Amino acid sequence: MIGERWRIPLMLAPTLIIIVVLFFGSLGYGFLQSLGWQPNIGNTTFSLDAYATVLFSPEYREQFWSGLWLTIWVSLASTFISAALALMSALLLRQTFIGKKIATFLFQLNLPVPHLVIAIGMIFLFSQSGLAARAAAQLGMISTPNEFPVMLRDAGGVGIILAYLWKEVPFFGIVLLAILQSVGEDYEDLARSLGANRWQRFRHVILPLVMPGLLSSSIIVFAFTFGTYEVPKLLGVRFPEMLPVMALEFFLNPDLNARAEGMALSMIIAAITLLIVVAYMWAGNRAVQR
Amino acid sequence: MTHVILSNLTKSFPGNPVAAVNTMNLDIPSGQLVAFLGPSGCGKTTTLKMIAGLITPTVGDITFDGASVLAVPPEKRGAVMVFQNYLLFPYMSVGQNVGFGLKMRGVEPKVIDRKVIEMLDLVKLPNIANRRPRQLSGGQQQRVALARALITEPKVLLLDEPLSNLDAHLRDEMRELILSIQRNLGVTMIFVTHDQEEAVLLANQIALIFDGVLQQYAAPDVFYRQPISERAARFFGGINFVPATRRGERLETAFGAFHVRTPGVENAPEGEVTLTIRPEQVVLNPADDENCTSGRIRSRIYVGTYTRYKIMIGDIEIEATRSGDIDHALNEGDAVRVGFPADRIWVVGRS
Repeated sequence: MIGERWRIPLMLAPTLIIIVVLFFGSLGYGFLQSLGWQPNIGNTTFSLDAYATVLFSPEYREQFWSGLWLTIWVSLASTFISAALALMSALLLRQTFIGKKIATFLFQLNLPVPHLVIAIGMIFLFSQSGLAARAAAQLGMISTPNEFPVMLRDAGGVGIILAYLWKEVPFFGIVLLAILQSVGEDYEDLARSLGANRWQRFRHVILPLVMPGLLSSSIIVFAFTFGTYEVPKLLGVRFPEMLPVMALEFFLNPDLNARAEGMALSMIIAAITLLIVVAYMWAGNRAVQR
Repeated sequence: MTHVILSNLTKSFPGNPVAAVNTMNLDIPSGQLVAFLGPSGCGKTTTLKMIAGLITPTVGDITFDGASVLAVPPEKRGAVMVFQNYLLFPYMSVGQNVGFGLKMRGVEPKVIDRKVIEMLDLVKLPNIANRRPRQLSGGQQQRVALARALITEPKVLLLDEPLSNLDAHLRDEMRELILSIQRNLGVTMIFVTHDQEEAVLLANQIALIFDGVLQQYAAPDVFYRQPISERAARFFGGINFVPATRRGERLETAFGAFHVRTPGVENAPEGEVTLTIRPEQVVLNPADDENCTSGRIRSRIYVGTYTRYKIMIGDIEIEATRSGDIDHALNEGDAVRVGFPADRIWVVGRS
């Protein structure tokens, strides 16, 4: 007879097994490949050559480091701006106003739309041959669509950030709205009666109350934007290129030896994501406690 | 010490044809402890929040020491609320919670630390400034919430159901604490409650509110002796109500005529009225036959410190209580003389 104290661990076991096997299995296998271990093509020795190639070889060094800064910039900017916009929107959406239901519906409208569709939508709308450029030309604001400012496929990743904002603001928003609704407005009323002005209520009451949810959502968004390739592949430039796109190109290389570089790059992406997430959480918690 | 006056205070919410608070006039002298008493949804918390400035009145005025505060935002009004569920900030220590109001006013951290210690001593919780709210019991959290409000030296302290979440023992402790703080600091306090016992235990004056309308504003004992209406009497535990016709001091009922000479009854309604008397004032088998009638004991329930009798007088049921030990001479089915002392009977309008 199984004891009561084993009941819950056993009930959790199937889920945990799937997570652990998939996580450590794939991560472990990927790590081995990044060390050059590919028995199917006869490579059975271990080395750090793939890491050295990606990080320091003249062929990839510049591409890696410029891609790394672009990836960090795009992911941090997307996460931070999405979180800020979503928080402002959620604070407004929780209030009572005419058209609240419609506004809330529109706010969450693109949640089920895949990132790929968002990226293609951005091209249709904001490229120099897109709807906005043609409309501006028709209205006489610019003489030809080519004069439309470059918003997509720019070196600064603005197009990619815009696409992520379009998609991630509602994601943050739905989390924050749920938190704000569960917390209610009593804490703010209390702070107000204790003398807190509007900014102080935001800084000392709202922000600390939503921060746990905001940090968790930020980690999800940051990790996703740091590691995904669809949007940067469609909306980014060839140089600098975001790291996930660079990794994808190693994987798509017909030379199977390039798989090791792709895996090494993926491991580096995972490690950097982990480091930045830890730093982000530390900074967020410190900001709340001050 | 602030003198608070509510003048024609009214609050209507959009989409609701009935006003949540309707034309309320109330004079709360400085240093008083006043209870807003009424059932859930009667408008008492809405009134409290209007005084705090958290809800804007539709009509009417609120003055502190003669000056209208309607244009003063809540953060500058000096009317501090202590909420029913304490609302200690979970991400702050107890000390940070208590010092919150001073921090918002830009007071020096050293001064805040000193005052936090003073306030925690005042609420009899020394040496807990570094604890987290989750480490405290409900009673301790309530005291911390009180300290957090008092540290700002409010003009008016507003308490929302201050004892309702506490068990009987802690209620007594908290009641003593609130009363001693009120006596020592002399701050004007207004608290909201749906519990008449809580109101009677704490308040100098009670404002009884039904359906957004102030029914009666008086000292606690008045609600027992001279309730304004049958509903008010029932709210304070009144259960004996007999239809009567009043002509001056004479009250005619289905089971006889009675005299009424209770002080203040001259201002009570005449004509078709309701006679009411509290169960503890009904006298069984009195020595004197004045204001007496006959009945039969329908039931007798011993409740420890007193015995409750239900007596049928004709087809009207009257309840009487007798304190002390059970009286074995009064049994179910026995005939009994029932006395209504003339100075204990009260009269309210027929509802």
